[in-house]
Amino acid sequence: MSGWLAGKTVRLVGESDAICRALTTQGAHLVDVDDCDVLILVVPSPVKQLAHEIDHDGWRAVLDAGLDRCFLAARDFASSRRTIGRGGVIIFVAAPEQALGADHAAAIGGLGNLTKTLGVEWARDGIRVNSVQTFNTGDVLGSLVAYLASDYAAYVTGANVGIGLEDG
Amino acid sequence: MSVPSHHVVLRPPPFDQPPYPADTFAGQTVLVTGGGSGMGLAMALAFAQGGARVAIMGRSIERAEDGAAKVAATGAEVHAISGDVRQPDHVASAFDEAERVLGPVSLLANNAGANFPVLAENISVNAWNAVTRIAIDGTFLCSCELARRLIARGEGGAIVNNAAQYIWTGFPGDAHSAAAKTAQATMTRKLAREWAPFGLRVNAVAAGFFPHDSSVSGGRGGGIEPLQAMIPAGRTGSTWEFGWLAAMTCTPMLEGLTGQIIVQDGGESLRRSLLMPDFVPPRERVDGPWGWR
Repeated sequence: MSGWLAGKTVRLVGESDAICRALTTQGAHLVDVDDCDVLILVVPSPVKQLAHEIDHDGWRAVLDAGLDRCFLAARDFASSRRTIGRGGVIIFVAAPEQALGADHAAAIGGLGNLTKTLGVEWARDGIRVNSVQTFNTGDVLGSLVAYLASDYAAYVTGANVGIGLEDG
Repeated sequence: MSVPSHHVVLRPPPFDQPPYPADTFAGQTVLVTGGGSGMGLAMALAFAQGGARVAIMGRSIERAEDGAAKVAATGAEVHAISGDVRQPDHVASAFDEAERVLGPVSLLANNAGANFPVLAENISVNAWNAVTRIAIDGTFLCSCELARRLIARGEGGAIVNNAAQYIWTGFPGDAHSAAAKTAQATMTRKLAREWAPFGLRVNAVAAGFFPHDSSVSGGRGGGIEPLQAMIPAGRTGSTWEFGWLAAMTCTPMLEGLTGQIIVQDGGESLRRSLLMPDFVPPRERVDGPWGWR
């Protein structure tokens, strides 16, 4: 075995040491450019606040990071893959939708159904879209994301996967 | 209709390139119910590729032995056992036999299932009982048998259930299986919660259509060609990619994964268009293409 991701370029946006480690272990070439085979977006977890204490700017920032920017990045990635006639993989990673505040719940709820929608909308472009919603930040997360990024998951698209019992 | 040539269809690596090393399950024994053919055999093969010893349990010993021969061809230690997962005494003696021949069982694949398209009003009591109890009682009895043994030994383990992609949508024309498979999936989440403190993980793969020799709806008409085009991914699934994902959930690599139901259906269950073919009630498509009479 030379690694699930040997020969693939992966762009990891956001912070996750475990994902970074697993990708490298599985032979992926990490890049920081738009032109890549796999795009992984790790949504930052906002500070948990009661809904009535979130100001509108704060609300917008969470929706921007957890939903809007994910969509726009996925859209641009898919366009560039389509242009060159190649498939690709998009993976969204976030804390579970009910884990934090109403801002995160709205963003990740939207992101979850976006995952299902884009997975089918772009299926015949060979672009798979999946998401992992979890509290886990360790090696299991890394392995799961690496699996989803690989050709072993060629028939997995539109899936929202958790890891632990509290992930919903 | 076939898939247009400009569409991109993604395919898994070939069967001889499993996603985990050959010693992943070394020293462990897996019991696969209904492992003699189809999806169960795919799981048995996948565990064998990871180095597990494999017990195949089936109602038909001939079929279990056929499957065992295919698993043995990979070089794995394998043993075929006759038994009905609906009968607690059969389940207990199957585990006894597996442990006597192969060693302590720590992995379980609940695959045994029966399914056939039928109008709800035509489902006999016998048919209802058969389909629901193989999946529901069978999964419960086999899982509990494993749990009692593991807990008594103070050891952890892993269970994977073969669920179906229609557990969330219902399956008109397959009411017995719709109920059975969803019961099995909700059980997956509950059992995972109960057995987490004992280190026993429980997950499921909600599989789409993976044609095989004993498929109930894959071999008729013009073969599987029309099905390929119907599925967003542009193809039906390959049994080995299902087997691999099922076995993967039990690997140390995914230690900590529990209570999860992972859909693997090429987007089939998520397909939705503003414009879709007219709805035809199951009753009125019995005699049509892909009907069953």
